[in-house]
Amino acid sequence: MRSMTDLTLVFKKISPRFVKAATFVIAACVLAIAQSSPQTQLPEVHLDAAGLAPRPIEELTGTTIARHYALAWRELAGALESGRAEGLGEEFVGFAKDRLTQRISEQNQAGMHVRIVDHGHHLKAVFYSTDGAAMQLVDEAQLEIQTFDGSKLLDTQNATHEYMVLMTPGADRWYVRDLEEVSAKSF
Amino acid sequence: MKRNIRSDFALCRCLTILALLCLLPAWARAAELHVPAIVEAGQAFSIPVEGSGQATFYLVGPDHVVKRTVSLGSDLRILSSDVRAAGLYQVILCGSSCTSATFEVKAAQPAHLSFFLHPSRVPVSTPDSIDATAFVFDQYFNLVLTPVAVDFRITPASGAGLSRQVSTRHGVAWMRMDSTPHEGRVQVTAVLGKAEEERVIQQVAAEACALRMKAVTNGNMVTLETDPVRDCSGNALPDGTVVSFTKVDREGKSTVDTPIKKGIARVQFSVRGPAQISVACGVVLGNEVALNGKL
Repeated sequence: MRSMTDLTLVFKKISPRFVKAATFVIAACVLAIAQSSPQTQLPEVHLDAAGLAPRPIEELTGTTIARHYALAWRELAGALESGRAEGLGEEFVGFAKDRLTQRISEQNQAGMHVRIVDHGHHLKAVFYSTDGAAMQLVDEAQLEIQTFDGSKLLDTQNATHEYMVLMTPGADRWYVRDLEEVSAKSF
Repeated sequence: MKRNIRSDFALCRCLTILALLCLLPAWARAAELHVPAIVEAGQAFSIPVEGSGQATFYLVGPDHVVKRTVSLGSDLRILSSDVRAAGLYQVILCGSSCTSATFEVKAAQPAHLSFFLHPSRVPVSTPDSIDATAFVFDQYFNLVLTPVAVDFRITPASGAGLSRQVSTRHGVAWMRMDSTPHEGRVQVTAVLGKAEEERVIQQVAAEACALRMKAVTNGNMVTLETDPVRDCSGNALPDGTVVSFTKVDREGKSTVDTPIKKGIARVQFSVRGPAQISVACGVVLGNEVALNGKL
């Protein structure tokens, strides 16, 4: 009985300290996570849909596309760095999802990972089908891509990358269906 | 004497640094990777690698990652299965240090068409009412960005077919066309080389044209019956299309909606005193009938 009372006293004595310490640890973890993963913030996406044919874009559609494209890049960067492809299905479907999933799987087998520091995207909508079922866009992305083998940095590329993007609407969002990197000479 | 030794030592150090600086580019050249700028998807090729000893080779592509130990001084074989997905690939070679290069894989020859025809049903003789869109892919389902001509072949249920060639832009060919004057199935086929995709669209009668009804009275009852309801091209409106009969008499206004059955619409009204009855189908008004004199 006495030991129980002692234990309660000890707990009462240490609990404020414990709570303070735990709060500090959680705050430190959140800070560390926020600092260690720049992907928590959405990359900047600017959409230019001037002269889009054969169907003009509605303002709300443009906003949704820009937001989901930004989310897609955040997922992509997170998946390439962590080696976890589970989250890709939120923003990617079809060829884009299949290819990224395969790449991440092979990257994991090779013990590699890629870190993308995303400095923003300039999206130019080039085709929007009349029935609204597909939109094609060209993305000019400012990316810093670091390739690692384990913890060893193999290569860093800091350049403009161009992507041909095909997005299709789902129930509540626009999905990235195809994402192919192209050279500027392709246009 | 001491000063001389010191100056000789400094000279030696300078010469050594100079020699190292001269050697460094030679060593860097040895580690350089000479990759082709552009490769067609699924085409195997080799990368010549100078030097001797072993190094780690990495190939990072859109859907493929390769890591293997290679012997320097021999060609690096890139298999066709390594470069199936179009996009930019990164080659990294790491010995004592790492060197990298990039090359682009472009889509191979067109092999697949992804074809959309919109809408699935369309009224006859409507301008710019049919849209056809074709995405061109190679055998690995890479979008073919090089412009190619897609042939859209249109075969109506009756009358002559037609064909229209459209060049792709960014891998997409699309065209818009009018629906033909006759109802029925219209087949549209997108053709590119051996790739063919067929879709069918159903053309239906347009709005009713020259809508007419006749009235047959029997005591207080009047039976109203339309002539066969057709559009301006002579196509019968499908059964189920709603026709509205509106009667105005001293009791007020009443409307009866009835579907077309076997090409005609029929309805019965009870009429007391003078009445005026009109008929409409969609936005089209038909004739009016006056019964028992004017209202």
